Amino acid sequence: MTPLVYVLEEQVRDLLSQTGDIRLVDGVAYGFDDWTVFHAYTGKPVSTPSGHICPCVAIRSDAAGFVDEESLMVQVRRRLDPDGLPIVVLIAGTGVGGSPSCRALILTDEGVAGADTRYVPRRSELFSRNTGLLETSALAEKKVVIVGLGSGGSPVALELARAGVGKFTLIDFDRLELGNISRHVCGVNDLGRYKTLAVRDQVLQKNPFAEVSTMEANVNQSLNQVEDVVAASDLLIVASDNDQSRFNLNQMSLNNNKVALYGRAITRAAGGDVLRVRPWKGPCYNCVFSSGLIDGREEELSQKRQALAVLPAYVEEDKINAMIQVGLSSDIAPIANMLTKMALVELSRGIETGMSTVDEDLVSDFYVWANRREEAYANWPRMGFKWTHPSILRWYAARVDRDPDCLVCGGHLEAEPAT
Amino acid sequence: MGWSSQQSVRLHLEMEILSRYFPTFFLKDSIIPGHAVIEGSLRSNAGSEYVVRLHVPADLPNSVPIVEVVSPALRDRFGHSLIDLGTSYPMHLLKPENGVVRICHYSASHWSPNITFSKVLLKIRAWIEAYEGHLDSGYAIDHYLPHMEA
Ligand SMILES: [Zn+2]
Repeated sequence: MTPLVYVLEEQVRDLLSQTGDIRLVDGVAYGFDDWTVFHAYTGKPVSTPSGHICPCVAIRSDAAGFVDEESLMVQVRRRLDPDGLPIVVLIAGTGVGGSPSCRALILTDEGVAGADTRYVPRRSELFSRNTGLLETSALAEKKVVIVGLGSGGSPVALELARAGVGKFTLIDFDRLELGNISRHVCGVNDLGRYKTLAVRDQVLQKNPFAEVSTMEANVNQSLNQVEDVVAASDLLIVASDNDQSRFNLNQMSLNNNKVALYGRAITRAAGGDVLRVRPWKGPCYNCVFSSGLIDGREEELSQKRQALAVLPAYVEEDKINAMIQVGLSSDIAPIANMLTKMALVELSRGIETGMSTVDEDLVSDFYVWANRREEAYANWPRMGFKWTHPSILRWYAARVDRDPDCLVCGGHLEAEPAT
Repeated sequence: MGWSSQQSVRLHLEMEILSRYFPTFFLKDSIIPGHAVIEGSLRSNAGSEYVVRLHVPADLPNSVPIVEVVSPALRDRFGHSLIDLGTSYPMHLLKPENGVVRICHYSASHWSPNITFSKVLLKIRAWIEAYEGHLDSGYAIDHYLPHMEA
């Protein structure tokens, strides 16, 4: 087959906008599948690339659109020692009507072969399939803060990027370890990396135009910095794994009048729940926690660090190891999906979108999901063919009211902060 | 950065409740959150006085406050310093710092912002009775005080 070369339209435009002498520009390319497909960059790749690295050079044609290919190839060979690898040569020019064009040649020991080029399109084309269902142009300006980029938070980040949400702040101080990989959107290529940075790269894979900032910080130890980020956001999504951080984030959401969504899995991911906090209008995280609907003890403990943080200091190591309970990724997925839907509803508020009827349905602030008839759901009837009984694998809305005695959002406070 | 306005309101509320139930406790405030302490004395049924110090967490009221028994220097029935026991499950002790005994009262998984310092001090009061029970009988403190399920 004719080799296929993908190039970033923006980088070609950049190359063409250069003035002065025409000269070779060093880039980099990544080849796949026996060097039949290449991703070529004239500058820095926007996100972490994959594939097998090989040399790439780019040049713009002169004003007349002319390039002397033969002397170009001599020039390239003199410049690079490919060490048996192919060299991708990009020739950028201006096509009819002033639009940029780019040709690619693959230079090997055997000679020069022409390749087909494809642009990685600009924003307008990337999410065209969603047009109508979601106002992607509006969501591109929406900014979400996601705290906790583990098995719960990372798929939410990715789904929101797929839906066209354009601005993210990712907060987590954890690194990807072997034990995380099976439940995480990132794979072995990201072992040892901060989850924030690895997920950022995944987000950019879905939406290269997203603005992603990260904080490798413990919320409980960086209260002011995190609150600044929350204050500048449209929505706070909390998928962190300890109550202290959720209490702190709850306070920030109330202080800054920002809607917050809290999702979690309970013991061995037998189920989970999602809470929406509309500050001062509905129950806050503490109202719900104190009602007993959310119980810190039932929290799924998936990592030793997490267990060490919540268990008394004198609990023995064996006991801690026994308490680390790991659910399956497919058990976490429904909770991440509900978080995503609720996030899209919140972000779409005030915008004409296909999410408005979903908004009408989601009148409750608290939703419960069961994966298996175990733990808290052990006494639930079997699903069978009944629609009228509680059953696994369905969402249930629960009525939770604001607690007038809540020491966080209750009546002891003189006044609610103005927005 | 000092305390946020919510934290100031909360601190005020805490001190108001303490003035009712534990009137010897007073606040040594600091403009640095997390450096304020509340100190006072608790008297056991047998009449012994214990000076107790509660560290106001920087993220008040969202995390468990550290509580220390400042004086007297506590020893177990067998004469060993409680500090030397280090972290102790049977004696409800956390790792001591700065040579002062730290009591394990609420665990992080049982904490909620609805728990006031007054409730914490009630637990310390119960610990003190259990401690004196231990001095009498030799039974460990958890003989008198049940542990919270982790
Ligand atoms: Zn509340």
